[in-house]
Amino acid sequence: MKFKDRYRFVRANMKKNKTRVIMTVLAATIGCAFLIVLASIGFGIHKTAIKDITNGRLMTEIEVHGEKPFTRKDIQKLDELKNTKTVTRKQIVENNLTYHLEKYESRSETMVADIPAEKKAGFELSRGRMPIHKNEIIVGYDFAQGLAKIPDEETKNLSEKELQNKLKESQYKGDLLGKTVQLEIQQMKGKKIVKKNFPLTIAGIGKKPSKQWMLNESVFISEGLLKDIERFTKTPRGIMNLPENKPIKMDYNVFNNVKVYTHTADEVEGVSKKIEKMGYSTYSAQNELKQINVIFLIIKIGLITVGTVAVLIASIGIFNTMTMAVTERAQDIGIMKAIGAHPGVIKKIFLMESSFIGIMGALIGTAIAYLFSYGVNLILPVLIEQFFHEKPPENFYFSYIPVSLPLICIAICFSVTLISGLRPAVRATQVDVLKALRRDI
Amino acid sequence: MIEVNGLSHEFRIGQKGKEKVVPVLHHVDLHVKQGEIAAIVGKSGSGKSTLLNLISGYIKPVSGMIRINGTDVTSFNEGQWADFRLNQMGFIFQSFQLIPSMTAFENVELPLILKGVNEKERQKQTQGMLETVGLLEYGGHYPGELSGGQQQRVSIARALIVHPPIILADEPTGSLDSDNEKELLAFIQKLNRERGITFLIITHDQEVAQIAHRTIEIADGFVMEGESVYEVQG
Repeated sequence: MKFKDRYRFVRANMKKNKTRVIMTVLAATIGCAFLIVLASIGFGIHKTAIKDITNGRLMTEIEVHGEKPFTRKDIQKLDELKNTKTVTRKQIVENNLTYHLEKYESRSETMVADIPAEKKAGFELSRGRMPIHKNEIIVGYDFAQGLAKIPDEETKNLSEKELQNKLKESQYKGDLLGKTVQLEIQQMKGKKIVKKNFPLTIAGIGKKPSKQWMLNESVFISEGLLKDIERFTKTPRGIMNLPENKPIKMDYNVFNNVKVYTHTADEVEGVSKKIEKMGYSTYSAQNELKQINVIFLIIKIGLITVGTVAVLIASIGIFNTMTMAVTERAQDIGIMKAIGAHPGVIKKIFLMESSFIGIMGALIGTAIAYLFSYGVNLILPVLIEQFFHEKPPENFYFSYIPVSLPLICIAICFSVTLISGLRPAVRATQVDVLKALRRDI
Repeated sequence: MIEVNGLSHEFRIGQKGKEKVVPVLHHVDLHVKQGEIAAIVGKSGSGKSTLLNLISGYIKPVSGMIRINGTDVTSFNEGQWADFRLNQMGFIFQSFQLIPSMTAFENVELPLILKGVNEKERQKQTQGMLETVGLLEYGGHYPGELSGGQQQRVSIARALIVHPPIILADEPTGSLDSDNEKELLAFIQKLNRERGITFLIITHDQEVAQIAHRTIEIADGFVMEGESVYEVQG
């Protein structure tokens, strides 16, 4: 018997008892939708967690930490490792420095970075260009927010909220690109503080951080300028001498904030291991993701298992429907067997019918779950804001359905319905021809 | 064509453990030649229907051998029997045994569907067969909408559609009036004559026995005096 003819048989049989079939499909639909919706919560939270870890960070990035500061030789060794794309490092200026622009001032973190390496690692400018001259700098996207001037007297009696408002009002609002700022460096000479100003031109502004709360007010200066600063302070990286302390012997040309970048995310694990063998400790988003993925995998398996219970309950309905169908059609089955229907054909017809019910339920259930998931992500944040007066976290997914989830659900539903239809199908093949012909069944 | 040797059968009646064995057939020997119309006659409960059911493969004999068209079918499993029935045998039943939810056309078409014949070919053959039995215009009717005679003709069309060499008929005229009975018997004779189909008919009706080349009487599970009591030339 051809597949097309079996399908026709099944369709005709299902049409005979529409209500019963519809109710069984409905049970399978509810079971399937419940499974997907339940699991989608796990997938949603997992996605949010992953986004939280990966947002603003590269999956190819490995932070390297050592007991001692990194020297140029150390950096070179890291750079020579197989699968290393680039190594970025920074020399942070450790001075009580201040930037002045007109009446505004800022105490932004200042550092020297290897710009070609930073560019290789993905550093981008939102405006302007990379520095060419020694006195040119790149400022972070939010540098202007740190530029403010408030007289101390006015801020003394302000509440925190008023202070925030005042700070906002007093922020620099003009365009920074091409502007000249004065970098004020301090050093103790005996018990006196000596200051020196370095005029610097803003050549470029960094790219906007991926998250609102990730403010970037940092300033990148050139290696030449750092040397000028060190010449003035007579200490590495502009470190200030404290009056009571004797000058400490410190190394010049050492780096911190070392990051190794690989070409692909898959190479992170191998490169991390090699770096750890060199005696450094490493940290990467990949490592964190690995741990989180394991935890969420367990959660998702748990949720899918709970959801499967609903499908199993629906399968009881399918079992009942199919058993009823076999009983009702016993005479027809008997006649078919009497004229030469192979038991295998009869079994296939009933298995097809039960899997058809299961797949129909799975498909409709999937569609409903998608609608539900979309609706929840759309409405729930509004409801939370309305009733709890709190905004849900940025990019939070209450429910997320990856393509794999409906496929898993359809596979579970198909298997469960096939199993639940198996017993009635086998019973159909065992219909006694003579009893059926005598209408004894 | 149909060869039965030493065929015995018994039924077990009652609860398991306390079953009572009722012998139905005792060492039956039977031989039906190709192109023959053989009638098995006997009283109710004589074992004639059991014999037909054994030859049809609906039940398995306790002992003995059945050979049909040169094939020993005694130890066939269900699947083998199904294939054999579909390709080698046609069945006519007293109560027609048509599927009520299928039209006359669909009932006749059913064996071809089971054989996996393509739709176009099926339609052509089914229409031709309905025309042969004079029911072309009733193809869309359900069995409930047809008379007893018409239903039996649909049943014959279904039996003939796969061109089987043998047709087994169990009381084919049992549910028909005398006009329809005469018409059916004439049709059986015509099929036998024109197509050479072998008929094994179970009946207690003398009119049916009259068209048979040979009549075999069964009484209390025994074939009377060998396999043939008297011979009637059709």
